[in-house]
Amino acid sequence: MIRNYFKTAFRSFQKNRFFTAINLVGLTIGFTCCILMGLYIQNELSYDRFQQKGTRIARVVMAYSFGEKVNKGNYTSTKVAPVFKRNFPEVETAIRMYQATRIVKHEDKVFNEKKFMYADSTFFDMFSFRLLQGNKAIVLEGPNKVLLTETAARKYFGNTNPVGKTLYIAASQTPYLITGILQDCPENSQIKFDFLASFSSMGNIQEKTYWNANYTTYLLLKNEQSFASLQSKIPGFMKKEMADQPNTYVSFELEPFNRVHLYSPYPGFEPNNSITYIYIICAVALLILFIACFTYINLGTASSIERAKEVGVRKVLGADKSQIFWQHIGESLLLCFLSIIISLLLVLLALPWFNGLADKNIQLTAIFTPLNLAFLGSIWLLISFAGGSYPALVLSGFQPIKVLKGLFRNSSSGLLVRKSLIVFQFMISVFLIVATVVIQQQMQYIRNKNLGYQREHVLLFPLDQKMLENYPTIKTELKKNAGILSVARAVSDPTHIEGGYNMRSDEMPPNGQLSVTATPIDDGYVNTNGLQLVAGTNITEQDLLNADELKHPEDLVMQFILNEAAAKELGWTAKTAIGKKMFLGDDRPGYVKGVVKDFHFQSLHNTIQPLVLFPSSWSSQMMVKLDGNHLSQTIAAIGEQWKKMVPHRPFEYRFMDDAFNQLYESENRLAKVLSVFAGIAIVLACLGLFGLSSFSAQQRIKEIGIRKVLGASLVQIVTILSKEFILLSLIAFILAFPIGWWAVNLWLQDFSYRITIHWSLFALTGIATILLALVTVAFRAAKAALANPVKSLRTE
Amino acid sequence: MIQLEKIYKWHNNGNNRVFILKDINLTIEEGAFISVMGPSGSGKSTLLNIIGMLDEPSEGSYRFLEQDVYTIKEKQRSELYKQNIGFVFQAYHLIDELTVYENIETPLLYQNIKTAERQAMVADILDRFNIVGKKDLFPVQLSGGQQQLVGIARALIAKPKLLLADEPTGNLNSKQGEEIMELFKKINEEDGVTIIQVTHSEKNAAYGKQIINLLDGRIEK
Repeated sequence: MIRNYFKTAFRSFQKNRFFTAINLVGLTIGFTCCILMGLYIQNELSYDRFQQKGTRIARVVMAYSFGEKVNKGNYTSTKVAPVFKRNFPEVETAIRMYQATRIVKHEDKVFNEKKFMYADSTFFDMFSFRLLQGNKAIVLEGPNKVLLTETAARKYFGNTNPVGKTLYIAASQTPYLITGILQDCPENSQIKFDFLASFSSMGNIQEKTYWNANYTTYLLLKNEQSFASLQSKIPGFMKKEMADQPNTYVSFELEPFNRVHLYSPYPGFEPNNSITYIYIICAVALLILFIACFTYINLGTASSIERAKEVGVRKVLGADKSQIFWQHIGESLLLCFLSIIISLLLVLLALPWFNGLADKNIQLTAIFTPLNLAFLGSIWLLISFAGGSYPALVLSGFQPIKVLKGLFRNSSSGLLVRKSLIVFQFMISVFLIVATVVIQQQMQYIRNKNLGYQREHVLLFPLDQKMLENYPTIKTELKKNAGILSVARAVSDPTHIEGGYNMRSDEMPPNGQLSVTATPIDDGYVNTNGLQLVAGTNITEQDLLNADELKHPEDLVMQFILNEAAAKELGWTAKTAIGKKMFLGDDRPGYVKGVVKDFHFQSLHNTIQPLVLFPSSWSSQMMVKLDGNHLSQTIAAIGEQWKKMVPHRPFEYRFMDDAFNQLYESENRLAKVLSVFAGIAIVLACLGLFGLSSFSAQQRIKEIGIRKVLGASLVQIVTILSKEFILLSLIAFILAFPIGWWAVNLWLQDFSYRITIHWSLFALTGIATILLALVTVAFRAAKAALANPVKSLRTE
Repeated sequence: MIQLEKIYKWHNNGNNRVFILKDINLTIEEGAFISVMGPSGSGKSTLLNIIGMLDEPSEGSYRFLEQDVYTIKEKQRSELYKQNIGFVFQAYHLIDELTVYENIETPLLYQNIKTAERQAMVADILDRFNIVGKKDLFPVQLSGGQQQLVGIARALIAKPKLLLADEPTGNLNSKQGEEIMELFKKINEEDGVTIIQVTHSEKNAAYGKQIINLLDGRIEK
C-alpha cells in the first residue's frame, strides 16, 4: 500500500514537473531560511549556558547621580567586590575583571593583544572555563601571573609547553609568569579572552572610593533566590557608605548574568544582542515558512482538479476517505522530506556566507544534535500536515461519480481560501519590504547625517604611556609627512565619548551640581576632528601646560571648551559663555574658552547631551587626519616612521569611519539580514503567484481559445487573466500598509534622530509590489494568450 | 441478489422537482446479464450508480445480498461494496500514474490482501486476459481497447459477484466492442458473475440475457 502511494507520488511529481518544482523550490528556500535562522537563534539563546553557576551570578551595575538625573553603567570601582563580600552573607564570592589591550612579547614575537583580561584569583570558583594545566586555586594568586588559552599558547610558543615560562606584557615589558593553559573560550560566551592575568597585576586594587568605575564586578550568590533580598539591602547600605558625600547618590543594581547578552542595555566585554532582534528574526523565519507553506497549500488545492480523476477512480476501486487523505499526506511528507534534505545541503553551502552576515561561527554539526533533529522532524511533520491536510481534505471529500462524470468544479470556498492565502503572502512581502526600506533609509540617514565632526580619513592609534612620553617628537615627525593635515591625542574620538562628571558655573551654589559628559583633549583635537567653534577660541599648547594637574594642584586654572548644550545648561548662550568661570567637578576650576557647535558624540539613539572638553595630558589614543589623497602611500609612509619612533608596538590603526560604523553594528546587521530575507520572501510570494496564475491559465485554456476565435487581442486576454491577481496584490498592499507603518515607527522610536516616513515610500512600495505581481502574472498569461486556439479547443 | 423498491431520484430546480428516476422496482437474480437501454437523460447511469452504491436515491429501498443497503453502517456498506462490486467505465478511468500491473493491483490494496496472494491474483488475471506482456506499460501507451481490457481486469480482480459497466464500448470501434462483449458473455457464463451494463447499442444489448428499457426515469414494460 505504502509502496503504491510512493510510486503514485513520485510519478505524479514527474508528471507535474512544473508545479512540483515550484513547490520544491519554495519549500526548500523556506526550510533553508528557517534552519539558518534557527541555528542563529539557538546560538544566541545558548549564550553563557555552559556556565554551571550562571543562574547564581550577578553583574553589578552602578547607578549614580549628582542631582535629578540618575546615570547607570555596568562599570564599578574596585571597592565593590571586597566590600559586598564582607558585608552581605548572600554573597558567596565576588570578583573584579578588567579587559585591556596589551602588547605581549615573547622573544621576537610581539603582538597587540585585544583580549587581555584581568581577573581576581577566585575566578574559577565562579566561572566554568576549563583549565587544562595548572591548579585552579593558585594560578591567579599574586601579581604578574598569566594564563593563556590554547590558541594564544600556540601563537607564541608553537608546540612547546609554555607553563613556567615568562611573557613580557605592555609597553613597560613587565615579566608575567605563565601559570596555566585554558581551553579556548566558547564562541557563545559574553566573556572571551586570549590571556587571563591576575587582577593584582594591575597594582591598584584600592578600596578607597566607589568612584573610578572602570571595572566589571560579578557576584556569586549562595542561592538563586536571594537576588531580590540582596538588591533590597543595597540602597540603604550605600547611603551609609556615601554619608560623607551628601550631594551624591550612588547605588548598585544586580543583573542576572544569563540575561546580560540578550536583555541588558549595558554591553558586556563585547556588544550585546537584543532579544527584540531575536524576536524579529524569529518572526521573519516564521513568515518565510508561512509564505512557502501557503504556496504549497495553494498549488495543492488548485491542482486538486488534476488529481480529482485519480481520486474518483480510487474511490470506485474501494478506497475510503481516510485512505485518500493519508495518501496525499504521504505525498506531502515525501515532498517536504526531499525539501529538507536539499535544504540541509544548501545550509551547508550557505553557512560560511551566513556566518559572515550574522557575524557568527556556526558549524553544520550544530544541527545534528538529538534535540535539533527532533525539532527538524517536528517541523517536517508540521509543514507536511499544515501544507498537505487542506488539499488532502478537499480531495478526499470528492464524490467519485461527479468527478468521473466531469461535473466537478472547484468549490468557491476553496477559491476564497486560495485568494486569502495569496493576499496574506503579499502582505508579508510588502511588510518586509517596507521594513527593509525604512531600516536602510535610516541607516543611510545615519551615514550621511552631518554629525558635526568629520570622520573621513582619520586614523586612530592606541596611545600607551611610552608613546605619550615621546608624543611631542612623534607629533612633529608625523607632521613632516605632506599627506597628514593634523595630529591630536585624547581619551575618546568624537564617535563615542563617555565619562560622567558634574559641573557648575561660578554663579551657582557649590552644591548645585549638573551632570555632564566630559573628556580630556589636546590643542589639536578641535581641528583634527573638524569641530566647529561658534564662539571663543581653541585651547593652546600653553593651556595644556597650565592644566597639568600634577604640576599645578593648588593654583590650577583650566580653559574649557563646551558644546552649545552645555553652555545652555549652565544658563548661557555660546557668546555669553566665553570667559565665564566654571568648575568641572570640584577640583577643576577654570574658564570657558570656546564653544563648539553641538556634535553627535554618541549614537543617534541619544539626543545631544551637554559636553565639556578639557585640556589634559591624559590620553589613550592618537588621531591622525589625512588629506585623503594617495591614502595608501601616506599610510605606508606612517608605517615606516612608526618603526623608528614606536619600535615596541606593532603598526596597528583603524579608521574613525569603522569606529563609527561599530556604533550601529546590530542595526546594520539587522538591515543586512532583513534585506536578504525580505528579498527571499518576495521571490517566494512571486513564485506562488506564478504557480497559481499558470494554473489558472491552464484551467481557462478553453475560454481563452474561444475568446481568441471570437477576436480578442493579446492585451485583452492578458488583462482578463491578470486582473484578479493584481487586485489581490492591491488588497494585500492596503492591508499591509498600516501594520508596516506601525511597526517601522516603533523601531524608529529608538532613535532620537530619525527619518520621517514619507507617504511616497508606501506608494512606491505599493507600485513596486503590484508591478512585480503584474510581471509575474502577465508573463504566464501572455504565454497562454499566444497559444494556438485550435489546439486548446481540440483538447476538449 | 438485488431488490430495488420504489426508487425515486430527483433534483430540486427552483420550485420544480426534476425527476431522474421514478418508481423503479427491480429484482435481479445472481448470474443475470442485463442490458439497460434508453435515450440520453433517461436515468440509465443514475440507476447503475445507485446499484453500485456510488449514488443514493431520494427515496426507496435497496437490498443487496439480503442486506438493506441504506440501514447498515457506512463501514459495512463499504465492505459489501469492495468485496462484491466491480465497475467498468466508458472512459476506462485508469490511473495514469500507475502501470497496467499496478492499476489492476490497486483494488486488492484497498482490501488489505497480502503481497504474495496479490501477486498471484494479478498474474492470474493478466494471463487470462492475455496482457502479460503489457503489464509494465502505462495507460497512455495502450490503445483504447487494451485500456478497457485492463479496466475490466481491474474490475474483476477482487472476484466481485456483480460487474457494473457504464457504456463500456462507447469509446471503442466495433471490432474492439465485439471483443469486449464476448468477454462479458464468457465471464457471465463461466464465472457466474452478474453483469449489468448500460448501452446505447442494440447489438451490444443483445449480448445480455435480459434488456431493461428506461424512458424518462421509468422502466418501460
